[in-house]
Amino acid sequence: MPPRPKPTQPAARPLTITAVVDPVAALASGNLDENLYLYDTNRTVGSTGFGTPELRTRVRKGDVLLWNVIPLECETFVALADIDIDRRVADPVRKVYPGTDIVFFTATVKRDLTGPIGYRLSFLLGGVAEPFTPEASPLLVGPDTKES
Amino acid sequence: MAQQHGIIVLVDVNNALKERSLDGNAYWFDNMKFLGSTGEGTEKLTTIVPGAYFLDGSQATEQVLNWLPAALGSVPPTVPRNYLAEQARHTDQEALQGIAELAPADEAELGRIREQAGRRARRSHSSRSLVTSKVLDATGQVAGANAADTYNYPTPVITDITGPAVTEKIIYPAQYGSPDMTYDGWYWAATVDTSRPGVYAYTMHIQLHELVSRDDELVWEPVDLTCESYLKVITDPKRNAFTGAGLGVLPLPAFPPIS
Repeated sequence: MPPRPKPTQPAARPLTITAVVDPVAALASGNLDENLYLYDTNRTVGSTGFGTPELRTRVRKGDVLLWNVIPLECETFVALADIDIDRRVADPVRKVYPGTDIVFFTATVKRDLTGPIGYRLSFLLGGVAEPFTPEASPLLVGPDTKES
Repeated sequence: MAQQHGIIVLVDVNNALKERSLDGNAYWFDNMKFLGSTGEGTEKLTTIVPGAYFLDGSQATEQVLNWLPAALGSVPPTVPRNYLAEQARHTDQEALQGIAELAPADEAELGRIREQAGRRARRSHSSRSLVTSKVLDATGQVAGANAADTYNYPTPVITDITGPAVTEKIIYPAQYGSPDMTYDGWYWAATVDTSRPGVYAYTMHIQLHELVSRDDELVWEPVDLTCESYLKVITDPKRNAFTGAGLGVLPLPAFPPIS
């Protein structure tokens, strides 16, 4: 029998970016931007824009990022479909929580950022086949980026 | 019956535990923005509750509120209800299989199995939650040697709802059991007296859980905190969201649609 891989043990929690989505309101109005609230776990480090679709997440090189979704109504399906980001900054990988089909994405920040890097999240809502992409773009900002 | 209100409180558990406060660490939502709720996604949510009459003038039924807590930076509440227990059982089975295949006195392999089996935390007597005591991390894997730094924060638990809205008898909150798939079968709900318009504050009592090491053992230590939100009862009539009118039959087609 081939040797099994040793489970890798992370040393710290990932920097989680959570999208709270009101799927019923987004589907009824066709507007995801007004029904999308982004949060991360780095507020005390300097992230801003909480509760808006334009969250600015403060990151450093080597940070492990994790994106997931919380629907406002647990009966309605919402999933993160894709993350469009400069692959020189981060290369998100789609994963599921073990034993489920609940999706999250993870990536490691590859370098310290000098300016803000915008990226795009897209979501699957309800039974609609085409993903929804908000107009507004969340950002990753570096450790020394000045906030206006 | 009018649509029930769902109110979600999302807690930044890491910061709340560090600061021992929910100030700035609790974000509130409801599904009534289209009726006029304000402060969605912020600390200051005011949930709108339309009044005592339907649009056609008939007396409305009381409004029902449901509260659900969630933890920021944790495995989301959309995983199945018994997720923690299933993961615990699954990893135990894998570890047992590893032991069965073990050559005698293989220390390295024993260490590997120990990591794979994860660590268990004892439950404090005053703790109100936690289906199983196996420690997972934020990606749903078992947390091994670094459990104290990587553990997944359990979903916050609502332990009580108090404040002016309760003492003035505007809401009658209570905890209910249900076959709900995602919230462990327990939830807090209330009915609202919609005949007295006004803004009423209420206090939510929330229990968080911190993993601490004591006597060479991991223990879930409960931390009780409170935060505040508001209900705004207005005199606008309730509406049926399908018809835009009062209660009554839905507009069915004159003949069954041909499939």
